[in-house]
Amino acid sequence: MNKLADYDGPILEIDKLSISFFTRLREIPAVMDFSVSVQPGEAVGLVGESGCGKSTVALGVMQDLGKNGRIVGGTIKFKGRDLSEMTTEELRDIRGNEIAMIYQEPMASLNPAMKIGKQLMEVPMIHEGVGAEEAYARALEVVTDVRLPDPERMLNSFPHQLSGGQQQRIVIAMALMSKPALLILDEPTTALDVTVEAAVVELVKDLGKKYGTSMLFISHNLGLVLETCDRLCVMYSGEAVERGSIHDVFDEMQHPYTQALFRSIPLPGADKNSRPLVAIPGNFPLPHERPPGCNFGPRCDYFEEGRCDAKDILMEAVPGNDRHHTRCLKFQEIDWNAPITVGEQKEKGEIGRTVLKMDNLKKYYEVAANALFGGGETKVVKANETLSFEAHESETLAIVGESGCGKSTFAKVLMGLETATDGQILLDNRNIEDVPIEERDAKTVGEVQMVFQNPFDTLNPSMTVGRQIIRALEIFGVGDSEADRKKRMLELLDLVKLPRAFADRMPRQLSGGQKQRVGIARAFAGDARIVVADEPVSALDVSVQAAVTDLLMEIQREHKTTLLFISHDLSIVRYLSDRVMVMYLGHVVELGTTDQVFAPPYHPYTEALLSAVPIADTSIEKQHIVLEGDIPSAMNPPPGCPFQTRCRWKSEVPDGRCESHVPPVQTLADGHQVKCHLAEDILAKMEPVIKIAAE
Amino acid sequence: MEPLTWTGSIAFLNPLLALALGLMALSIVVWMLASIVLPEDQMTVNPDGTLTSSSSVRNLIQAALRYSFLASVALAVAYIVLGIVMGTSAGIIGAIAQQFLPVWLSLIILYAMSIAFKRKLGLYGKLFDSPIGMIGFGLVMFWVFTGIFGALDLIVTHDPLAQISGMKNKVPGTPLPNLEDGQYAWYLLGGDNLARDVFSRMVKGAWIVVQIAPLATMFAFMVGITLGLPAGYYGGRLDTLLSFLANLILAFPVILLFYLLVTPEIVATGVPNYMAAVLFIFPIIFLGVLLNSRYYTRPNFRTPLLIGVLGVALWLYLSLISTGGYIINTDSYSIWGLPTYLDLFNIPGGILVVFVSVVFVNSPTVFRIVRGLALDIKTRDYVAAAQTRGEGPWYIMLWEILPNARGPLIVDFCLRIGYTTILLGTLGFFGLGLPPESPDWGSTINEGRKLLSIYLHPALPPALALLSLVLGLNLLADGLREESLKD
Repeated sequence: MNKLADYDGPILEIDKLSISFFTRLREIPAVMDFSVSVQPGEAVGLVGESGCGKSTVALGVMQDLGKNGRIVGGTIKFKGRDLSEMTTEELRDIRGNEIAMIYQEPMASLNPAMKIGKQLMEVPMIHEGVGAEEAYARALEVVTDVRLPDPERMLNSFPHQLSGGQQQRIVIAMALMSKPALLILDEPTTALDVTVEAAVVELVKDLGKKYGTSMLFISHNLGLVLETCDRLCVMYSGEAVERGSIHDVFDEMQHPYTQALFRSIPLPGADKNSRPLVAIPGNFPLPHERPPGCNFGPRCDYFEEGRCDAKDILMEAVPGNDRHHTRCLKFQEIDWNAPITVGEQKEKGEIGRTVLKMDNLKKYYEVAANALFGGGETKVVKANETLSFEAHESETLAIVGESGCGKSTFAKVLMGLETATDGQILLDNRNIEDVPIEERDAKTVGEVQMVFQNPFDTLNPSMTVGRQIIRALEIFGVGDSEADRKKRMLELLDLVKLPRAFADRMPRQLSGGQKQRVGIARAFAGDARIVVADEPVSALDVSVQAAVTDLLMEIQREHKTTLLFISHDLSIVRYLSDRVMVMYLGHVVELGTTDQVFAPPYHPYTEALLSAVPIADTSIEKQHIVLEGDIPSAMNPPPGCPFQTRCRWKSEVPDGRCESHVPPVQTLADGHQVKCHLAEDILAKMEPVIKIAAE
Repeated sequence: MEPLTWTGSIAFLNPLLALALGLMALSIVVWMLASIVLPEDQMTVNPDGTLTSSSSVRNLIQAALRYSFLASVALAVAYIVLGIVMGTSAGIIGAIAQQFLPVWLSLIILYAMSIAFKRKLGLYGKLFDSPIGMIGFGLVMFWVFTGIFGALDLIVTHDPLAQISGMKNKVPGTPLPNLEDGQYAWYLLGGDNLARDVFSRMVKGAWIVVQIAPLATMFAFMVGITLGLPAGYYGGRLDTLLSFLANLILAFPVILLFYLLVTPEIVATGVPNYMAAVLFIFPIIFLGVLLNSRYYTRPNFRTPLLIGVLGVALWLYLSLISTGGYIINTDSYSIWGLPTYLDLFNIPGGILVVFVSVVFVNSPTVFRIVRGLALDIKTRDYVAAAQTRGEGPWYIMLWEILPNARGPLIVDFCLRIGYTTILLGTLGFFGLGLPPESPDWGSTINEGRKLLSIYLHPALPPALALLSLVLGLNLLADGLREESLKD
């Protein structure tokens, strides 16, 4: 049965949609005057920061707004029928059958108590009433389509037996079981690793073509939208601010917010001096505190008083482009091609002497098979294997790798939460690998500090911001009296550019970016010389990321701090780091200056990683390298080279040495190390993954 | 003196109340049926942002429910107000309402103050946003005030232990046969098997509960927290051992344990005193560690603080566990305790046993809750941040983990006071621990039970009192949980 045959016209037509949530205190408008249409076979991206209402639109399409949510204006038409006029039975028939949705957390979308096969078979059995045998055949077909190995075994397993990437593929398979006309993807890859994400995105794209499904792709990542969608719609604070085809919006943007968004994300092709990051000033307005007129007005460079804040602004068509609309009064006056006014160029701090030296650091964990009584077999998990590097004063060393590569373990050993199994860590030529944190003196502890990933978790929710910083000062032995420390605490708030009044606030009164700043202030309480930043900006919104990144770099310049920047985001790594270390399964596979790592010759893993990063720039051409399979478990690493199970260059190495020998460290150029069996001439033949297309 | 009827001259309200309650019951049934049968109501949004429901049948039922409820409440208030004004001429209800006058006044003042300042009072203030929480808190505070004023002899009409001849098993409202000067003329809720006033005994019983239940629960929490935090935080062998011990205590039948603890032979060996000595030391450890971990970086502030707090705590502790100059005084041997001239108060042996047993059986459950919460919270980044700046484990447990586990703990605290109240009732019912003539609710119910088929009135008031207090605590816990989840 083909659900597309009997209707031609837009699959989904949202017209002037407004959605509000009703609380005890007030009505909170979540989406206002939102229009978009999705043509058959078209993929439309919905881009915006968290809280801009993009997920609410998706829930509105599913008519699943909960008890407090309500559509207060406009219509949502699916294949020409108004969804809000349908009865509960009709809606139930459409959901999962004609409109399918894929959520962010794959594990939360699957029933953990049911086998995969049964969950997949349910879809056609409920919606189309087919028999169990046919349903099984269809399930098998779809699981093969989403390129999962050994489909029959997959159907017979429970969700927890699969990896995150495999689970997300199953969720996609489930959505495709009924061959829906419209597929809504709500941040489908946010919870996945970069290389896995690239594979899933590739899959979604191919399947969209194969099944002719229309897609509504919700994401905060402009690069991903560029790779997957035909058209996109940028949202800000509940409104669509610009919509049009990918090329129109990316290359001829007509709204200041879109422009600001693009300027605040680092692009790997661009140089940080010619194209510095420009943070969007101010904060995202709360839904009930939106300004009059243009919502973006207070943060906009082109704001004109009396005009932009006078009355509600409507979408206007951009002349000359196909279905390109913008919600800006001044779009025809603004010179969109004006170069970015480059602020004061700050000299990068001189890289100084070696502060930290790791030499053959190893960290193994023993995992007992039977936790309660001990004994039994113990397995060894090699979390870090022969880690060697040096870090200098006022240098940024980026540590790149996907989950399970051992970067967190390395941070723990450095901080003293764990002691090393073997090798040494030298801090100013003192050995600290065997000194747990309780035995370190206050100065050493204060000198090596950490900034954490999750801003919502980094501060104790039941202590005021000032108290938490003062506590750190007390522990590091800074200041002689309470008044002294209070003064120092206020200075630290100045350092991270937070108003002093924040000292008395509770963490829940702060936004994510502000919390992260407090976390940075706390880390610098003891005049830290080495700061381990564990993905400090990955959980923040794009417009805030740039500001926090800049803050970190500025403090680094002033304090000559050594920054160990752990990240999986290669764009930001390229933007701010001096040297890069790529890790895979506990091994350092490549180490060199940023330019060396980002240009060939690469380690095969670095090459794949570079190719996997979505880049929001239409002028960049990327080689597509999709890694097969998942990252092996550290419990059970492959023999020989850790990367050999997914490496595309394996055939270039004679005698199958990849499978039997751990590769030696080759030094290619000055300070550029690669842990690979590939001969030099083959490495030299590698082509750059990212190329800027000729203009 | 004439015997009092239930409502006296305000009897005209009775048919009205019956009507209002009947209507309310009916509309609740209709409302429940309608929510199943009638279709989902369509809400429409007005231009000013308010919502209107279009379904008129539903609106009608809602209105009926609301008005019948309001009418019932208004009538109940009318009984009380008229009772306060008219006293005994409004029958037993009126007389009781008048006796409770200090309680009503305190409740009104408490509620007026709390609602006026609710935005500044944190979680306690938010309680007044939730009707359920307000009702629960009202019930609880009613019994708390009753206990306090009862102890001050403001509410009681007779000595709860005095027997007046001729009043044995008399029905509520019976006048005293030979009225003496200054004596209240009626047994408002009748006389019990030993001719004592049921009303006064019920009021006095509230004081025993209000004294013991929250205090015992607090001790159980201190023990549970002091052991649960390290078990959850360190994990490993310590956790295995402590959890095993907790399971051991939980697996033992509670009532049997009580019987064992109060058996004279066991009391004679001093086991309850040893248990008291061990269990009551936990709050001191808790306080000491709490303050030391926080202020050790500032020794000149820490040392005097610790000396002061621990000194007072230790004194209270020794007073608590030593009686007549001894901590343990058995026939064969004795251990010296605080000399009598320093001993602040003596806990009667029976109460001490009750206290110890309640703490002993409650703390394993608290231990498990705290351990679970600690296991969850210790994975947070702020705990890692504390570790990486070199905080000691006890600081992390008590100042980073415990404050963030407070939500579930406060709710559990309220529920657990309820359980403790029931436990106290159970102990009294079996005559364990407390002296036989004690007016506590458990004992009174047990005495009333013996003649239940002939005389209902001696057993019913304490049973209803117990029910309403525990119900109030559960509603309060519900309200707190609901409000702490918001925001």
